[in-house]
Amino acid sequence: MDKGLLAYLLIPLLSAVIIPFASRNRPKLADILANVTLLAGLANLAWLALRPSVIAGGFADIPGDGLALLLVGAVYLVALCVTFFSAWFIGEGLPNRAAYYSLILVSVSAMCGVVTSTDFFTLYVFIEVLAVTSFALITTDDSGAGLEGALKYFFLTFPASALIIIGIAVMMLSLGNLSFESLRFFMASDLPAGPVTFGAALMLLGFIIKAGVVPFHTWAPDAYQGAYAPVSAHLAGIVTKISGVYAIIKMATLLRFFDGRAQALSEMLMFLGLLSIVVGALAALKQKDLKRMLAFSSISQVGYIVLAAGLGTPLAIMGAVFHLINHATFKTVLFLNSASVEKSAGTTDMDKLGGLEHTMPWTSWTSIVALLSTAGVPPLSGFWSKLIIILALWEAGLKGYAVLALLFSIVTLAYFMMMQKKVFFGKKTPASESSPEVCAPLLAPVVLMSAVIVALGLLFPYFYTYVRMVAERILL
Amino acid sequence: MNIILIPIVLPLVTALALLLICEKTKYLKELLAIGAAAVSLLAAASIFLLPVQSLSCAWLGGGITFTLVADNLSAFLLLAVSLFSLAISVFSSSNPNKGPAKWFFFNLLMTQGFAAGAALADNMLAMLFFWEGLLVFLYTFIALSQNNHAARRTAMKAFLINAATDLALLAGVTITAYIAGTMSMSEISHNKLTLDYGWSIFAYVLLLIGAVSKAGAFPFHTWIPDAATDSSAAFMAYVPAAIDKLLGIYFLARASIYLFTLNGTMQLVLMTLGAVTILVAVMMAFVQKDYKRLLSYHAVSQTGYMILGIGTLNPIGIAGGLFHMINHATYKSCLFMTSGSVERQAGTTDLSKLGGLFRAMPITGLCFLIAAAAISGIAPLNGFFSKELVYKGTLDTGYTVFFLAAELGSFLTLASFLKLGHSVFFGERPENLKDTKEAPFSMLLPMLTLAGICVAFGFGARLPTEWLISPALTGMGVSHPTLSGFHFDKLYFVSVIVILAAVMNHMIGLALGGGKASKSSDHIHYAPVLKETYAMAERRVFDLYEVLMDRVVPAVSLALFKVDRFFDWALDTVPSSLGGFFGGTSRSFHNGSYPLYMALTLACAAVYILLAGGLK
Repeated sequence: MDKGLLAYLLIPLLSAVIIPFASRNRPKLADILANVTLLAGLANLAWLALRPSVIAGGFADIPGDGLALLLVGAVYLVALCVTFFSAWFIGEGLPNRAAYYSLILVSVSAMCGVVTSTDFFTLYVFIEVLAVTSFALITTDDSGAGLEGALKYFFLTFPASALIIIGIAVMMLSLGNLSFESLRFFMASDLPAGPVTFGAALMLLGFIIKAGVVPFHTWAPDAYQGAYAPVSAHLAGIVTKISGVYAIIKMATLLRFFDGRAQALSEMLMFLGLLSIVVGALAALKQKDLKRMLAFSSISQVGYIVLAAGLGTPLAIMGAVFHLINHATFKTVLFLNSASVEKSAGTTDMDKLGGLEHTMPWTSWTSIVALLSTAGVPPLSGFWSKLIIILALWEAGLKGYAVLALLFSIVTLAYFMMMQKKVFFGKKTPASESSPEVCAPLLAPVVLMSAVIVALGLLFPYFYTYVRMVAERILL
Repeated sequence: MNIILIPIVLPLVTALALLLICEKTKYLKELLAIGAAAVSLLAAASIFLLPVQSLSCAWLGGGITFTLVADNLSAFLLLAVSLFSLAISVFSSSNPNKGPAKWFFFNLLMTQGFAAGAALADNMLAMLFFWEGLLVFLYTFIALSQNNHAARRTAMKAFLINAATDLALLAGVTITAYIAGTMSMSEISHNKLTLDYGWSIFAYVLLLIGAVSKAGAFPFHTWIPDAATDSSAAFMAYVPAAIDKLLGIYFLARASIYLFTLNGTMQLVLMTLGAVTILVAVMMAFVQKDYKRLLSYHAVSQTGYMILGIGTLNPIGIAGGLFHMINHATYKSCLFMTSGSVERQAGTTDLSKLGGLFRAMPITGLCFLIAAAAISGIAPLNGFFSKELVYKGTLDTGYTVFFLAAELGSFLTLASFLKLGHSVFFGERPENLKDTKEAPFSMLLPMLTLAGICVAFGFGARLPTEWLISPALTGMGVSHPTLSGFHFDKLYFVSVIVILAAVMNHMIGLALGGGKASKSSDHIHYAPVLKETYAMAERRVFDLYEVLMDRVVPAVSLALFKVDRFFDWALDTVPSSLGGFFGGTSRSFHNGSYPLYMALTLACAAVYILLAGGLK
């Protein structure tokens, strides 16, 4: 484990333990404790990474490989947005308020564990913790859809856990060690790969299922659609990205895809990534429910990250990491906005909605910022990450992949424009007649995230320096 | 600042300043324009008198040198351009039929500045820059002269014809510069290009098209008669009569004498072009029933003499062409001014509604008589001398047929001016023109000046030939004999015969037309064969632009529309229906069935494991 970041794992865990006791008589205390914990962590991280002296030094002072720090930052940012949003979103009558915040904090510490672990078994343990908290979180409100989504998530990702543990066993037998470093050294050496690669391939398949890559994506739409609204943002924004996508990027760097040691695996991963892009985008075109459409969009965007990870060149890894961060920002905005729409208009059926821009201008505008970033419109952050990914594909000579990735970026814009038109533009429908703008605290997280999107796009050179530093450290 | 810049920059700056002035102010705009033109004229005169001036600076990132050279020919041309600008701005100051004053003077000064630049430019790219600038202001000049649809349509016609030929010029300049390895005309002239191989012939022909189209020669002339009816007399007197002729013939001379050494074939081409232009345009001019339109066809016809003169390629012919260029600008400008004056005072330019105005407008009438005599080549006015030189040059080449064509043109010119003068200034005055008065002094002054120049260049033909034409020829490296002097030889008698024939023709026409001067051309207009030809010409069957616009453009635009529809369909319908199909399929697949999902997951996992395990 990366000891330097251990505090970010332990403190939320501690808060999660305290919350049920502290808030037994004063439920509001749970909100405050959770938010304060995450805000303090975030402030600490900002001090660590964003001091002017650190920025001026090209982030050379960042401890560890830099990737863990970046992802911990993303985890805290998204979780803070979700908890802050939840504090005003959760109805007074929800009985398990304390449990809800405890679960979120546990999932935060599990995610920190995932990104700081340095061997496969620790990684597996934290991923399982994360999965268990996710099942519970999906069922926060006891509607039937939540329960169905949770069960599907559990059963359909169950093979993933099995495959990961089998993969670990195979690796233990063939390599004799489970640390990342030993796998990295093994792949760098000239020894015949054989069973080691096979074990890695099994683990990789587990992570692919967890990430919701087509054709193992089937749990994702139901889980995201059925889950309690802020939980969808938490799940789609960060949880599945850390438990699946981060692990895929990590495997891609460890297996050294860029020097062709695991050619077949690399090609398979890229193909699955492209398949995800295509199927996710095409399915999103025809969805009627806002949250379900966002779920398919999420599948499609995960495809870009997996495609880049499968390529594995330093530039592609940079693009993948950057797109992972960007995806966390814009998908959080869109899911939180869908929660606002649900709260205000009472439905997320796009055929029943319309003309909400008049009554909900903030929600509408932040959606526009987020969707333009997703579609890769300059100068927003999504443009840069997609540009890097497509450039990396082109540079590697995979022109067909590059062209398709670009083309489906246009389809992304198409389905988001249709969504924006159906929900926010046009004439008001009966459902949206009496739907006022949600209160300012509910808007604050999405406005903050939109600001982050714009800032990441405009301050791209600084961010690029950081991500390049990360790519250099994890690939050398 | 180099004095060479004044005639270019001053008009341009003044033109921009004019736009800042309120439309309601009286005299201010006029005075400013006249002042700028006068100062430019003074500067041009001093450039003319000083030894060769030049200015050169790096341009377009240093790759190309922007060079202005005022050699003898350019300085002469600059002087002429400035003189006509001053004359027209004085003439227009109290003429109401010129459109909004602000825009008129803006266009006038812009045209002047760019024309001066085109005359002075030594670098062909710089010349093109100024040349294309003229195109823009040609459009705005016509389009803003009258506020109606016809003016805009004619402006578009003028613009498109000239734009197409300017593109030819652009291509020609590019090829020439490529062959010669330099853009500088003076450098090319040290080592003239020959027409020995295909590319150089192509380049010369493109330059030729650009030059003769600017001069308004057949078949690029068709916008000029339309502009005569759809724009103002002042515009006609300035652009098609003076500036365009000056620049077009100037560049034709540069290209044919200075840049290229032509061969016999190209000489024939040029002379044929000249002769055809003379005859076709003068035949059309002869039967016109409108003052300005008749003059405009003559403006085309006279271009033919200049091309013919330069096409002879011998010094006398070239001198004649250049001399005719300046003479034509003088008397044709004067004639258009008389038409503007008549239009202002009598309210119409329809020949059948005019008559007997000489007594009411004696000075205008006098100017008309002088200028008409000059254009008809009556000794001893300036037109006579320049035509004599052209004739002589033509005879020296040995192609008598071109000489005969030119004489025939001269005959018809005189005949049509007899008709015009008779219908406007003599005969019976219509009832509604009883109170017509003479035009104001500001219109008479430039007319009188130009008529005076016609007389002066005629009686003292030695002056212009020695001061203007000879240095220009020397500057282009053409050696030449004595050019001036009245020769009492057979050419003089031929001209007398032509005059007598024209007068007789007019008598016959009058007798057949029932004594009405405006119908004195009807015996030729309605002669067999010619009648049908004229009818077709009236229907614009021979107008290449109209034919293109009527026949070709609708078909091409329809085809392009179809192509556009196809692309629209391909870009719109195909992706959306494909997206709809796949999206719908995908949507119906994701039906929430747990067994289906689980089966898919397990099946795909099995395939993955087999592939990862080494199965190929």
